Amino acid sequence: MELMNSENIVQDRQPAQPQEEEEIMQQEEEEEEQRFHVLAVDDSVIDRKLLEKLLKASSYQVTCVESGEKALEYLGLLHHSSPASSSSQHHHQGHKVNLIMTDFSMPGTSGYDLLKRIKGSSWKDVPVVVMSSENVPSRISMCLEGGAEEFMLKPLQLSDLHKIQAHLLKSLPHS
Amino acid sequence: MDLVHLQRQLVDYRTSLYHEGFLDEQFTQLQSLQDENNPDFVVEVVSLFFEDSERLLNELSKALEQQIIDFKRMDAQVHQLKGSSSSIGAHRVQKLCIVFRNYCEAQNVEGCLKCLQQVKHEYGIIKTKLESMFQLEQQILNAGGSIPV
Repeated sequence: MELMNSENIVQDRQPAQPQEEEEIMQQEEEEEEQRFHVLAVDDSVIDRKLLEKLLKASSYQVTCVESGEKALEYLGLLHHSSPASSSSQHHHQGHKVNLIMTDFSMPGTSGYDLLKRIKGSSWKDVPVVVMSSENVPSRISMCLEGGAEEFMLKPLQLSDLHKIQAHLLKSLPHS
Repeated sequence: MDLVHLQRQLVDYRTSLYHEGFLDEQFTQLQSLQDENNPDFVVEVVSLFFEDSERLLNELSKALEQQIIDFKRMDAQVHQLKGSSSSIGAHRVQKLCIVFRNYCEAQNVEGCLKCLQQVKHEYGIIKTKLESMFQLEQQILNAGGSIPV
């Protein structure tokens, strides 16, 4: 934090020039782009709020959706035809998706259905973490075999997010 | 009532909620997520829980009044209630939901009715207790103090 001295105070009184404002906005956008973006899918409003907080507390950018269908829509996978342009790969409206976290038990398109759809699409390289409140070994192996990176038991805690970080780092393209 | 007294009252009250099994570790997790950027986080999440639970309890009551009981749908609703109570650390409600689900699976109407009554009862208790706790917290803040961890 810069120390306030009389010079700074006088400068702060002046309205920022339009160019400076644009630069600041650009910088903020760039910083946002550098943060990992997580798509969180859960039909429970409480769990969505919790997950969003956990992820933001770990400095991730978050988009929450309430169903498997909404997630597919977000990823451009709702209609059976694959996305037309290759520029949509890993991007939605210019925003990347680094990780998808989905609840297992959801009405309609389940977390497992969503997992399979993602792994069969151009988003297949994006790690998917499946969450569930139930510890069912057959369910866990089914998800892992289906391509899930990790299966996590709810309720999630901040310490669980450390595991996620490893998966996100793995998914980074070669620099 | 002076500030120190209020703060002590809050700590004692909170401790008793854990000791008596009303709340579990998950509630502590919730509190640890609250910060200056989000000073009402716990109240917000708990309010969502109250709304959601009341909706589910109403639906469960209605379901059990039907001629033909949809046990599968009820089971899904109890599962939801179990999940949300677990997410906020409402321990007793969560435990009752597990029993409730067993009765749904067994399609046992009597068992379900009894369980629903028990869940409603426990829910009522935890709601009152949490609201009392939030009131105490507000009193402390109004008196210019901070909430002890």
